[in-house]
Amino acid sequence: MLVEIAIVAFLAGGVFFTFVSAVGVVRLPDIYARAHTASQTDTLGAGFTLVAVALAIGLETTTIKTFLLLIFIFITNPTAAHAIARAAHEEGIEPWREDR
Amino acid sequence: MVEQTSGRSADSALLVPVGESVTLRNTVAYAVEVALEADLVGVHFVAPVPWHDIDDVDPSVREATQELLDRVATWAGEDDPDDALAVETAIIGDDEYLFSPDDYAVTLAEYADGYGIDRIVIDPEYSPGGNAPILRSMEVELDRRGYTVEEAPVGRRVRRGRLLQRSGRLQFLTLFGVSFLFYQLLGGFALTRFDLTTGAASAAVVSVMLYRISLGDQIRIPVLARRAVRLALFVPYLLYEIIVSNLLVSYVILHPKMPIEPRMTEVRTAVWGGIPVTTLANSITLTPGTLTVRVDGRDFMVHTLIPAAREGLFDGALERGVRFVFYGRSAARSATPRERGDCRIIGEEDEAE
Repeated sequence: MLVEIAIVAFLAGGVFFTFVSAVGVVRLPDIYARAHTASQTDTLGAGFTLVAVALAIGLETTTIKTFLLLIFIFITNPTAAHAIARAAHEEGIEPWREDR
Repeated sequence: MVEQTSGRSADSALLVPVGESVTLRNTVAYAVEVALEADLVGVHFVAPVPWHDIDDVDPSVREATQELLDRVATWAGEDDPDDALAVETAIIGDDEYLFSPDDYAVTLAEYADGYGIDRIVIDPEYSPGGNAPILRSMEVELDRRGYTVEEAPVGRRVRRGRLLQRSGRLQFLTLFGVSFLFYQLLGGFALTRFDLTTGAASAAVVSVMLYRISLGDQIRIPVLARRAVRLALFVPYLLYEIIVSNLLVSYVILHPKMPIEPRMTEVRTAVWGGIPVTTLANSITLTPGTLTVRVDGRDFMVHTLIPAAREGLFDGALERGVRFVFYGRSAARSATPRERGDCRIIGEEDEAE
């Protein structure tokens, strides 16, 4: 019972941050700002969801794979975000500012 | 030259002239290795400087040189974890103008004689005269004076040379071990004969193909183990930072007015080398609110979304964490980028102070 509550709570957390991230991609003004919020999905959105998955499966080999999945996401996500931001900067895209 | 060096003491130190160069890190590693093998008492890293330190030199130039020497000393400490060597650093030649190869040779020789040093290791990419090619002549001069001069066998500025590192059995075995363990991990450590055989075969293929590329030049198991432990302590802290900044960013995104203040900033970080810099850059990007846009050496260009994230970046919490992982606990107690004056907001020069 307690485990089920925890699973639902983590899933809700994952859904919440993924939702916020989607809202952010729509609302934020430029490519740099959107890259910030895109990393929310990958970190906590995917993170909480995978924790929920691991709890649901219990102690098994697949749990270890879930954990590895998380590690790989945490390594590849910033690399991709950096590549996008760097490409934007090389194209000479100026960051949006609220005062200009 | 041997007959001439016989008068100098046998248990002396090694002299390494240093300056900014792409192969500096490898030269330091090589010098430490040579000194350890030959049982020398220490390594002296000296920076001969072309300026005359009376009135015509910008203080920042001196600081930059001192910083270079500090960095070299840190590297030497990493390569000599048991502190078997006395590492000395010095700026030399600042009481006279150094111009010709002979000037450099004389200054180095004076320093060497002061400490009874007769072996000198030279970084092949070291360029004491700026663009003027005086390194060879300097070596010849030193050689003529009876010193044992040796160029560090480090990669020249060739793409291939830098990708393929010096490597050996230890690199191969480490990579093989890691690959094999990873394979067994995916198989759930069933440890059947099938798993062990296919795992060994896959690990062998991986390590044969990649052992010269994927690992840096020096592997020391104790250093690696300490770093792994410290990394395990750093990760929960990083997760905490990620959760806090996720909440902050979620708040501004869901806020009806969306109070964001995006700014591009520049931070000169206090980490060096490929893996530490990558770790810091990725940690910064993983934390919502800060995004690494460019990295040039240790100069980071970071886009920040909200003031709170910017303050956190300038306070250097993640930087301290990464320093802790790679350089140990004492290195973690360093000045923040703000205290060092190593950060600024691009486009707001006055406010950055």
